[in-house]
Amino acid sequence: MIDFDEELSYYKPSLEIEAIEDAIVKSDLTDMTDIMMELIKERKE
Amino acid sequence: MDYANRCRRIANGYYNQGLEKAKIRDLSGAAECLKKSLHFHKYQTDARNLLGLIYYEMGETAESLVQWIISLNLQPEDNRAAEYMGRIQGKLGRLDAESQNIRKYNQSLGLARAGNDDLAILQLNRVVEINPHFVKAHLVLALLYMRRGDYTKAGKSLYKVLQIDKSHPKALWYMSIAKAHTGRAEVERKKLNNAFSHRQMQDDDIILPPTYKETTGWMTIINIVVGLALGAAVIWFLVMPAMERQLNHRHNQEMTKVLEQVNQKNQEIDALEQEKSAMEAERNEAVTSLQSMEENEQSVVFQYQRLVQILKAREAQDMNTVALVYSDLDGALITDEQSAAAVAEIRTYMETEGFQVLADLGNGARDSGDQEAALGYYQKSLNIKGDNPQVIYDMALIYQAREERDTANELFGQVIMNYPNTELAVLAKEARGY
Repeated sequence: MIDFDEELSYYKPSLEIEAIEDAIVKSDLTDMTDIMMELIKERKE
Repeated sequence: MDYANRCRRIANGYYNQGLEKAKIRDLSGAAECLKKSLHFHKYQTDARNLLGLIYYEMGETAESLVQWIISLNLQPEDNRAAEYMGRIQGKLGRLDAESQNIRKYNQSLGLARAGNDDLAILQLNRVVEINPHFVKAHLVLALLYMRRGDYTKAGKSLYKVLQIDKSHPKALWYMSIAKAHTGRAEVERKKLNNAFSHRQMQDDDIILPPTYKETTGWMTIINIVVGLALGAAVIWFLVMPAMERQLNHRHNQEMTKVLEQVNQKNQEIDALEQEKSAMEAERNEAVTSLQSMEENEQSVVFQYQRLVQILKAREAQDMNTVALVYSDLDGALITDEQSAAAVAEIRTYMETEGFQVLADLGNGARDSGDQEAALGYYQKSLNIKGDNPQVIYDMALIYQAREERDTANELFGQVIMNYPNTELAVLAKEARGY
Protein backbone atom coordinates (compact mmCIF):
# COMPACT_ATOMS: atom_id res chain seq x y z
CA MET A 1 0.00 0.00 0.00
CA ILE A 2 0.98 3.55 -0.55
CA ASP A 3 1.98 5.85 2.33
CA PHE A 4 0.42 9.05 1.14
CA ASP A 5 2.14 11.40 3.59
CA GLU A 6 5.53 9.94 2.79
CA GLU A 7 4.75 10.02 -0.91
CA LEU A 8 3.73 13.67 -0.69
CA SER A 9 7.00 14.52 1.04
CA TYR A 10 8.87 13.38 -2.07
CA TYR A 11 7.30 16.16 -4.12
CA LYS A 12 9.36 19.33 -4.05
CA PRO A 13 7.99 22.77 -4.90
CA SER A 14 8.46 23.71 -8.52
CA LEU A 15 11.04 26.29 -9.44
CA GLU A 16 9.35 29.67 -9.70
CA ILE A 17 10.12 32.10 -12.51
CA GLU A 18 11.42 34.68 -10.02
CA ALA A 19 13.95 32.15 -8.70
CA ILE A 20 15.53 31.43 -12.09
CA GLU A 21 18.46 33.75 -11.49
CA ASP A 22 19.38 32.06 -8.19
CA ALA A 23 19.01 28.65 -9.77
CA ILE A 24 21.40 29.57 -12.58
CA VAL A 25 23.96 31.00 -10.17
CA LYS A 26 23.78 27.93 -7.94
CA SER A 27 23.84 25.41 -10.77
CA ASP A 28 26.97 23.33 -10.87
CA LEU A 29 28.21 23.21 -14.43
CA THR A 30 31.25 21.08 -13.72
CA ASP A 31 31.33 18.20 -16.17
CA MET A 32 33.44 15.09 -16.45
CA THR A 33 35.86 16.86 -18.79
CA ASP A 34 36.54 19.53 -16.15
CA ILE A 35 37.14 16.87 -13.49
CA MET A 36 39.50 14.92 -15.74
CA MET A 37 41.43 18.05 -16.63
CA GLU A 38 41.69 18.93 -12.95
CA LEU A 39 42.99 15.45 -12.13
CA ILE A 40 45.58 15.61 -14.93
CA LYS A 41 46.66 19.04 -13.73
CA GLU A 42 47.06 17.78 -10.14
CA ARG A 43 49.06 14.76 -11.30
CA LYS A 44 51.43 16.98 -13.26
CA GLU A 45 52.01 19.13 -10.22
CA MET B 1 42.96 15.53 -24.75
CA ASP B 2 41.97 11.93 -25.35
CA TYR B 3 39.84 12.04 -22.20
CA ALA B 4 38.05 15.11 -23.46
CA ASN B 5 37.18 13.41 -26.74
CA ARG B 6 36.00 10.34 -24.90
CA CYS B 7 33.78 12.42 -22.66
CA ARG B 8 32.34 14.17 -25.70
CA ARG B 9 31.60 10.86 -27.37
CA ILE B 10 29.89 9.50 -24.25
CA ALA B 11 27.90 12.74 -24.00
CA ASN B 12 26.84 12.38 -27.63
CA GLY B 13 25.79 8.79 -26.99
CA TYR B 14 23.61 9.77 -24.06
CA TYR B 15 22.15 12.63 -26.11
CA ASN B 16 21.21 10.18 -28.88
CA GLN B 17 19.54 7.92 -26.35
CA GLY B 18 17.70 10.87 -24.86
CA LEU B 19 16.55 11.97 -28.30
CA GLU B 20 15.24 8.49 -29.12
CA LYS B 21 13.36 8.32 -25.84
CA ALA B 22 11.96 11.80 -26.33
CA LYS B 23 10.67 10.76 -29.77
CA ILE B 24 8.62 7.94 -28.22
CA ARG B 25 7.47 10.27 -25.42
CA ASP B 26 9.50 8.61 -22.71
CA LEU B 27 10.23 12.04 -21.32
CA SER B 28 11.49 10.95 -17.88
CA GLY B 29 13.90 8.49 -19.46
CA ALA B 30 14.98 11.09 -22.01
CA ALA B 31 15.60 13.67 -19.27
CA GLU B 32 17.84 11.22 -17.38
CA CYS B 33 19.89 10.48 -20.52
CA LEU B 34 20.25 14.17 -21.34
CA LYS B 35 21.36 15.01 -17.79
CA LYS B 36 24.00 12.30 -18.08
CA SER B 37 25.07 13.67 -21.42
CA LEU B 38 25.56 17.10 -19.84
CA HIS B 39 27.52 15.58 -16.93
CA PHE B 40 30.02 14.34 -19.44
CA HIS B 41 30.10 17.39 -21.64
CA LYS B 42 28.41 20.60 -20.53
CA TYR B 43 28.83 22.13 -24.01
CA GLN B 44 26.49 19.58 -25.57
CA THR B 45 24.04 22.34 -26.50
CA ASP B 46 21.51 20.11 -28.23
CA ALA B 47 21.23 17.97 -25.11
CA ARG B 48 20.69 21.03 -22.92
CA ASN B 49 18.13 22.55 -25.29
CA LEU B 50 16.24 19.27 -25.53
CA LEU B 51 16.29 18.95 -21.75
CA GLY B 52 14.76 22.43 -21.58
CA LEU B 53 12.08 21.40 -24.06
CA ILE B 54 11.29 18.30 -22.02
CA TYR B 55 10.97 20.38 -18.85
CA TYR B 56 8.69 22.78 -20.71
CA GLU B 57 6.55 19.92 -22.01
CA MET B 58 6.19 18.62 -18.45
CA GLY B 59 5.05 22.03 -17.22
CA GLU B 60 8.32 23.04 -15.58
CA THR B 61 8.68 26.38 -17.35
CA ALA B 62 11.25 27.85 -14.94
CA GLU B 63 13.46 24.76 -15.22
CA SER B 64 13.31 24.95 -19.00
CA LEU B 65 14.26 28.65 -18.93
CA VAL B 66 17.24 27.83 -16.67
CA GLN B 67 18.52 25.29 -19.18
CA TRP B 68 18.04 27.59 -22.18
CA ILE B 69 19.70 30.56 -20.46
CA ILE B 70 22.73 28.43 -19.54
CA SER B 71 22.75 27.06 -23.06
CA LEU B 72 22.79 30.60 -24.51
CA ASN B 73 25.60 31.58 -22.14
CA LEU B 74 27.72 28.63 -23.17
CA GLN B 75 26.95 29.05 -26.88
CA PRO B 76 25.65 32.52 -27.71
CA GLU B 77 25.68 32.04 -31.49
CA ASP B 78 23.58 29.68 -33.60
CA ASN B 79 21.53 28.41 -30.70
CA ARG B 80 17.88 27.32 -30.91
CA ALA B 81 17.42 28.18 -27.24
CA ALA B 82 17.09 31.83 -28.28
CA GLU B 83 14.10 30.92 -30.45
CA TYR B 84 12.46 28.89 -27.66
CA MET B 85 12.83 31.73 -25.19
CA GLY B 86 11.64 34.23 -27.76
CA ARG B 87 8.45 32.22 -28.28
CA ILE B 88 7.68 32.11 -24.56
CA GLN B 89 8.46 35.76 -23.95
CA GLY B 90 6.80 36.83 -27.20
CA LYS B 91 3.29 36.14 -25.95
CA LEU B 92 2.24 38.95 -23.70
CA GLY B 93 1.36 37.86 -20.17
CA ARG B 94 2.14 34.23 -20.82
CA LEU B 95 5.16 34.19 -18.54
CA ASP B 96 3.16 35.89 -15.77
CA ALA B 97 0.40 33.30 -16.11
CA GLU B 98 2.96 30.49 -15.96
CA SER B 99 4.57 32.06 -12.89
CA GLN B 100 1.24 32.35 -11.08
CA ASN B 101 0.37 28.80 -11.99
CA ILE B 102 3.61 27.45 -10.55
CA ARG B 103 3.02 29.47 -7.39
CA LYS B 104 -0.46 27.98 -7.09
CA TYR B 105 0.99 24.49 -7.44
CA ASN B 106 3.48 25.19 -4.65
CA GLN B 107 0.64 26.49 -2.45
CA SER B 108 -1.42 23.38 -3.22
CA LEU B 109 1.50 21.21 -2.22
CA GLY B 110 1.68 23.05 1.11
CA LEU B 111 -2.07 22.62 1.62
CA ALA B 112 -1.87 18.91 0.82
CA ARG B 113 0.94 18.41 3.31
CA ALA B 114 -1.09 20.26 5.94
CA GLY B 115 -4.01 17.89 5.32
CA ASN B 116 -6.27 20.41 3.51
CA ASP B 117 -6.99 17.97 0.72
CA ASP B 118 -10.18 19.65 -0.46
CA LEU B 119 -8.58 23.03 -0.94
CA ALA B 120 -5.51 21.47 -2.48
CA ILE B 121 -7.62 19.51 -4.98
CA LEU B 122 -9.57 22.64 -5.88
CA GLN B 123 -6.38 24.61 -6.43
CA LEU B 124 -4.69 21.81 -8.39
CA ASN B 125 -7.69 21.45 -10.66
CA ARG B 126 -7.31 25.13 -11.57
CA VAL B 127 -3.59 24.62 -12.12
CA VAL B 128 -4.04 21.74 -14.55
CA GLU B 129 -6.86 23.59 -16.25
CA ILE B 130 -4.49 26.46 -17.05
CA ASN B 131 -1.56 24.19 -17.89
CA PRO B 132 -2.75 20.68 -18.79
CA HIS B 133 0.88 19.57 -19.24
CA PHE B 134 1.88 20.19 -15.63
CA VAL B 135 2.90 16.61 -14.79
CA LYS B 136 3.75 17.19 -11.14
CA ALA B 137 0.38 18.87 -10.52
CA HIS B 138 -1.43 15.91 -12.12
CA LEU B 139 0.56 13.47 -9.97
CA VAL B 140 -0.16 15.29 -6.70
CA LEU B 141 -3.82 15.59 -7.72
CA ALA B 142 -3.94 11.83 -8.42
CA LEU B 143 -2.32 11.11 -5.08
CA LEU B 144 -4.89 13.24 -3.27
CA TYR B 145 -7.76 11.58 -5.10
CA MET B 146 -6.36 8.19 -4.14
CA ARG B 147 -6.10 9.29 -0.50
CA ARG B 148 -9.82 10.10 -0.68
CA GLY B 149 -10.51 6.76 -2.31
CA ASP B 150 -11.58 8.32 -5.61
CA TYR B 151 -9.50 6.04 -7.80
CA THR B 152 -11.46 6.81 -10.96
CA LYS B 153 -10.57 10.50 -10.88
CA ALA B 154 -7.03 9.60 -9.92
CA GLY B 155 -6.92 7.29 -12.94
CA LYS B 156 -8.04 10.15 -15.21
CA SER B 157 -5.26 12.42 -13.94
CA LEU B 158 -2.70 9.65 -14.32
CA TYR B 159 -3.93 8.90 -17.82
CA LYS B 160 -3.19 12.51 -18.76
CA VAL B 161 0.30 12.20 -17.26
CA LEU B 162 0.98 9.04 -19.23
CA GLN B 163 -0.18 10.76 -22.41
CA ILE B 164 2.54 13.36 -21.85
CA ASP B 165 5.21 11.03 -20.48
CA LYS B 166 4.54 7.40 -21.37
CA SER B 167 7.06 5.89 -19.00
CA HIS B 168 6.78 8.15 -16.01
CA PRO B 169 7.66 5.71 -13.20
CA LYS B 170 5.50 7.29 -10.51
CA ALA B 171 2.52 7.67 -12.84
CA LEU B 172 2.82 4.01 -13.84
CA TRP B 173 3.02 2.95 -10.20
CA TYR B 174 0.02 5.08 -9.16
CA MET B 175 -1.90 3.85 -12.18
CA SER B 176 -1.33 0.23 -11.21
CA ILE B 177 -2.74 0.97 -7.75
CA ALA B 178 -5.70 2.88 -9.22
CA LYS B 179 -6.44 0.06 -11.64
CA ALA B 180 -6.29 -2.48 -8.86
CA HIS B 181 -8.89 -0.55 -6.90
CA THR B 182 -11.23 0.11 -9.79
CA GLY B 183 -11.13 -3.45 -11.17
CA ARG B 184 -9.59 -2.20 -14.35
CA ALA B 185 -6.49 -4.32 -13.76
CA GLU B 186 -8.59 -7.52 -13.76
CA VAL B 187 -10.36 -6.50 -16.97
CA GLU B 188 -7.08 -5.80 -18.72
CA ARG B 189 -5.63 -9.06 -17.48
CA LYS B 190 -8.59 -10.97 -18.93
CA LYS B 191 -8.23 -9.14 -22.21
CA LEU B 192 -4.59 -10.07 -22.37
CA ASN B 193 -5.41 -13.69 -21.55
CA ASN B 194 -8.03 -13.77 -24.29
CA ALA B 195 -5.67 -12.14 -26.74
CA PHE B 196 -3.04 -14.81 -26.28
CA SER B 197 -5.21 -17.85 -25.51
CA HIS B 198 -6.25 -18.83 -29.04
CA ARG B 199 -6.09 -22.55 -29.63
CA GLN B 200 -3.44 -23.58 -32.05
CA MET B 201 -4.85 -25.09 -35.23
CA GLN B 202 -4.42 -28.82 -35.62
CA ASP B 203 -3.68 -30.49 -38.93
CA ASP B 204 -7.12 -32.07 -39.17
CA ASP B 205 -9.05 -28.91 -38.34
CA ILE B 206 -11.29 -27.78 -41.21
CA ILE B 207 -12.30 -24.23 -41.81
CA LEU B 208 -15.64 -24.14 -43.54
CA PRO B 209 -15.85 -21.28 -46.01
CA PRO B 210 -19.11 -19.36 -46.26
CA THR B 211 -21.15 -21.34 -48.78
CA TYR B 212 -22.42 -19.92 -52.03
CA LYS B 213 -26.15 -20.49 -52.30
CA GLU B 214 -27.68 -20.84 -55.71
CA THR B 215 -30.69 -18.61 -55.84
CA THR B 216 -33.94 -19.90 -57.32
CA GLY B 217 -36.30 -18.05 -59.70
CA TRP B 218 -38.74 -17.21 -56.92
CA MET B 219 -35.94 -15.95 -54.74
CA THR B 220 -34.81 -13.66 -57.57
CA ILE B 221 -38.31 -12.24 -57.90
CA ILE B 222 -38.61 -11.79 -54.15
CA ASN B 223 -35.20 -10.11 -54.09
CA ILE B 224 -36.25 -7.76 -56.88
CA VAL B 225 -39.52 -6.96 -55.09
CA VAL B 226 -37.69 -6.36 -51.81
CA GLY B 227 -35.17 -4.20 -53.66
CA LEU B 228 -37.95 -2.19 -55.26
CA ALA B 229 -39.68 -1.83 -51.93
CA LEU B 230 -36.47 -0.66 -50.32
CA GLY B 231 -35.88 1.76 -53.17
CA ALA B 232 -39.41 3.09 -52.84
CA ALA B 233 -38.96 3.41 -49.10
CA VAL B 234 -35.71 5.30 -49.58
CA ILE B 235 -37.40 7.63 -52.07
CA TRP B 236 -40.43 8.03 -49.81
CA PHE B 237 -38.59 8.60 -46.56
CA LEU B 238 -35.37 10.25 -47.69
CA VAL B 239 -35.72 11.75 -51.15
CA MET B 240 -39.33 12.94 -50.99
CA PRO B 241 -39.03 14.92 -47.74
CA ALA B 242 -35.91 16.62 -49.08
CA MET B 243 -37.68 17.46 -52.35
CA GLU B 244 -40.75 18.59 -50.46
CA ARG B 245 -38.61 20.81 -48.27
CA GLN B 246 -36.90 22.20 -51.35
CA LEU B 247 -40.22 22.85 -53.07
CA ASN B 248 -41.68 24.43 -49.96
CA HIS B 249 -38.63 26.58 -49.63
CA ARG B 250 -38.88 27.68 -53.26
CA HIS B 251 -42.62 28.23 -52.92
CA ASN B 252 -42.08 30.31 -49.79
CA GLN B 253 -39.47 32.37 -51.54
CA GLU B 254 -41.83 32.98 -54.46
CA MET B 255 -44.66 33.84 -52.09
CA THR B 256 -42.44 36.23 -50.23
CA LYS B 257 -41.44 37.86 -53.50
CA VAL B 258 -45.06 38.16 -54.66
CA LEU B 259 -46.14 39.53 -51.29
CA GLU B 260 -43.37 42.06 -51.45
CA GLN B 261 -44.55 43.11 -54.90
CA VAL B 262 -48.17 43.34 -53.69
CA ASN B 263 -47.08 45.40 -50.73
CA GLN B 264 -45.13 47.67 -53.00
CA LYS B 265 -48.10 48.10 -55.34
CA ASN B 266 -50.42 48.78 -52.38
CA GLN B 267 -48.06 51.42 -51.17
CA GLU B 268 -48.00 52.96 -54.64
CA ILE B 269 -51.82 52.90 -54.79
CA ASP B 270 -52.04 54.52 -51.35
CA ALA B 271 -49.61 57.19 -52.41
CA LEU B 272 -51.55 57.83 -55.63
CA GLU B 273 -54.86 57.99 -53.75
CA GLN B 274 -53.42 60.47 -51.30
CA GLU B 275 -52.12 62.51 -54.22
CA LYS B 276 -55.54 62.33 -55.88
CA SER B 277 -57.30 63.46 -52.68
CA ALA B 278 -54.89 66.34 -52.31
CA MET B 279 -55.42 67.35 -55.93
CA GLU B 280 -59.21 67.12 -55.56
CA ALA B 281 -59.07 69.30 -52.47
CA GLU B 282 -56.94 71.80 -54.35
CA ARG B 283 -59.37 71.70 -57.27
CA ASN B 284 -62.40 72.23 -55.01
CA GLU B 285 -60.63 75.09 -53.31
CA ALA B 286 -59.79 76.61 -56.67
CA VAL B 287 -63.42 76.20 -57.85
CA THR B 288 -64.75 77.75 -54.66
CA SER B 289 -62.30 80.57 -54.93
CA LEU B 290 -63.28 81.11 -58.58
CA GLN B 291 -66.98 81.07 -57.75
CA SER B 292 -66.43 83.48 -54.93
CA MET B 293 -64.48 85.74 -57.23
CA GLU B 294 -67.20 85.52 -59.88
CA GLU B 295 -69.93 86.23 -57.35
CA ASN B 296 -68.03 89.16 -55.99
CA GLU B 297 -67.43 90.47 -59.44
CA GLN B 298 -71.10 89.95 -60.33
CA SER B 299 -72.17 91.56 -57.11
CA VAL B 300 -70.01 94.60 -57.77
CA VAL B 301 -71.27 94.77 -61.31
CA PHE B 302 -74.88 94.54 -60.03
CA GLN B 303 -74.29 97.37 -57.61
CA TYR B 304 -72.97 99.56 -60.38
CA GLN B 305 -75.95 98.58 -62.55
CA ARG B 306 -78.28 99.60 -59.67
CA LEU B 307 -76.45 102.87 -59.24
CA VAL B 308 -76.87 103.60 -62.94
CA GLN B 309 -80.56 102.66 -62.65
CA ILE B 310 -80.97 105.02 -59.67
CA LEU B 311 -79.24 107.87 -61.45
CA LYS B 312 -81.41 107.37 -64.55
CA ALA B 313 -84.60 107.23 -62.46
CA ARG B 314 -83.58 110.38 -60.64
CA GLU B 315 -83.05 112.14 -63.96
CA ALA B 316 -86.53 111.02 -64.97
CA GLN B 317 -87.91 112.22 -61.57
CA ASP B 318 -89.09 108.67 -60.90
CA MET B 319 -88.49 108.82 -57.15
CA ASN B 320 -90.35 105.58 -56.45
CA THR B 321 -87.82 103.67 -58.55
CA VAL B 322 -84.97 105.60 -56.93
CA ALA B 323 -86.20 104.61 -53.46
CA LEU B 324 -86.89 100.98 -54.37
CA VAL B 325 -83.59 100.36 -56.16
CA TYR B 326 -81.66 102.17 -53.44
CA SER B 327 -83.12 99.89 -50.80
CA ASP B 328 -81.42 96.95 -52.56
CA LEU B 329 -78.12 98.81 -53.19
CA ASP B 330 -74.97 97.78 -51.29
CA GLY B 331 -73.04 101.03 -51.30
CA ALA B 332 -69.95 99.50 -49.69
CA LEU B 333 -69.10 97.62 -52.92
CA ILE B 334 -68.90 100.83 -54.90
CA THR B 335 -65.38 102.03 -54.29
CA ASP B 336 -64.38 104.41 -57.05
CA GLU B 337 -64.42 108.02 -56.00
CA GLN B 338 -67.00 109.50 -58.37
CA SER B 339 -69.55 106.70 -57.95
CA ALA B 340 -69.10 106.72 -54.16
CA ALA B 341 -69.86 110.47 -54.18
CA ALA B 342 -73.04 109.81 -56.17
CA VAL B 343 -74.04 107.08 -53.71
CA ALA B 344 -73.44 109.46 -50.78
CA GLU B 345 -75.64 112.08 -52.41
CA ILE B 346 -78.45 109.59 -52.98
CA ARG B 347 -78.06 108.30 -49.41
CA THR B 348 -78.57 111.85 -48.07
CA TYR B 349 -81.71 112.19 -50.17
CA MET B 350 -83.05 108.85 -49.01
CA GLU B 351 -82.44 109.62 -45.34
CA THR B 352 -84.19 112.97 -45.59
CA GLU B 353 -86.96 112.32 -48.10
CA GLY B 354 -86.64 109.01 -49.86
CA PHE B 355 -87.64 106.94 -46.81
CA GLN B 356 -91.05 108.57 -46.96
CA VAL B 357 -91.45 107.51 -50.58
CA LEU B 358 -91.05 103.88 -49.45
CA ALA B 359 -93.50 104.49 -46.58
CA ASP B 360 -95.99 105.91 -49.06
CA LEU B 361 -95.52 102.88 -51.29
CA GLY B 362 -96.23 100.76 -48.23
CA ASN B 363 -99.38 102.71 -47.51
CA GLY B 364 -100.50 102.27 -51.10
CA ALA B 365 -99.96 98.54 -50.94
CA ARG B 366 -101.79 98.33 -47.59
CA ASP B 367 -104.69 100.26 -48.97
CA SER B 368 -104.82 97.95 -51.95
CA GLY B 369 -104.91 94.97 -49.54
CA ASP B 370 -101.40 93.68 -50.25
CA GLN B 371 -100.21 93.43 -46.68
CA GLU B 372 -97.10 91.45 -47.53
CA ALA B 373 -95.85 94.09 -49.99
CA ALA B 374 -96.77 96.83 -47.55
CA LEU B 375 -94.69 95.20 -44.81
CA GLY B 376 -91.78 94.93 -47.30
CA TYR B 377 -91.93 98.63 -48.15
CA TYR B 378 -92.26 99.63 -44.51
CA GLN B 379 -89.26 97.52 -43.56
CA LYS B 380 -87.15 99.05 -46.35
CA SER B 381 -88.16 102.52 -45.19
CA LEU B 382 -87.18 101.64 -41.64
CA ASN B 383 -83.86 100.26 -42.87
CA ILE B 384 -83.06 103.71 -44.27
CA LYS B 385 -84.50 105.64 -41.36
CA GLY B 386 -85.38 103.68 -38.28
CA ASP B 387 -86.60 106.65 -36.28
CA ASN B 388 -90.10 106.71 -37.83
CA PRO B 389 -92.92 105.93 -35.35
CA GLN B 390 -95.62 106.23 -38.01
CA VAL B 391 -94.16 103.41 -40.09
CA ILE B 392 -93.65 101.25 -36.99
CA TYR B 393 -97.22 101.84 -35.92
CA ASP B 394 -98.51 101.06 -39.44
CA MET B 395 -96.55 97.79 -39.48
CA ALA B 396 -97.94 96.91 -36.05
CA LEU B 397 -101.47 97.48 -37.31
CA ILE B 398 -100.91 95.12 -40.25
CA TYR B 399 -99.52 92.42 -37.91
CA GLN B 400 -102.47 92.93 -35.62
CA ALA B 401 -104.84 92.55 -38.55
CA ARG B 402 -103.02 89.33 -39.48
CA GLU B 403 -103.37 88.25 -35.83
CA GLU B 404 -99.67 88.06 -35.32
CA ARG B 405 -100.09 89.50 -31.89
CA ASP B 406 -96.60 89.04 -30.52
CA THR B 407 -94.97 90.94 -33.38
CA ALA B 408 -97.71 93.54 -33.34
CA ASN B 409 -97.44 94.03 -29.56
CA GLU B 410 -93.67 94.33 -29.79
CA LEU B 411 -93.98 97.07 -32.43
CA PHE B 412 -96.72 98.85 -30.44
CA GLY B 413 -94.44 98.58 -27.43
CA GLN B 414 -91.62 100.29 -29.36
CA VAL B 415 -93.92 103.18 -30.22
CA ILE B 416 -95.17 103.45 -26.63
CA MET B 417 -91.71 103.27 -25.11
CA ASN B 418 -89.71 105.33 -27.63
CA TYR B 419 -92.31 107.98 -28.40
CA PRO B 420 -94.38 108.24 -25.20
CA ASN B 421 -95.79 111.72 -25.59
CA THR B 422 -97.14 111.35 -29.08
CA GLU B 423 -100.59 110.69 -30.43
CA LEU B 424 -99.28 107.47 -31.96
CA ALA B 425 -98.29 106.27 -28.46
CA VAL B 426 -101.85 106.81 -27.26
CA LEU B 427 -103.20 104.99 -30.30
CA ALA B 428 -100.72 102.17 -29.74
CA LYS B 429 -101.82 101.81 -26.13
CA GLU B 430 -105.42 101.63 -27.25
CA ALA B 431 -104.54 99.06 -29.86
CA ARG B 432 -102.85 96.94 -27.19
CA GLY B 433 -105.90 97.32 -24.99
CA TYR B 434 -104.40 99.47 -22.20
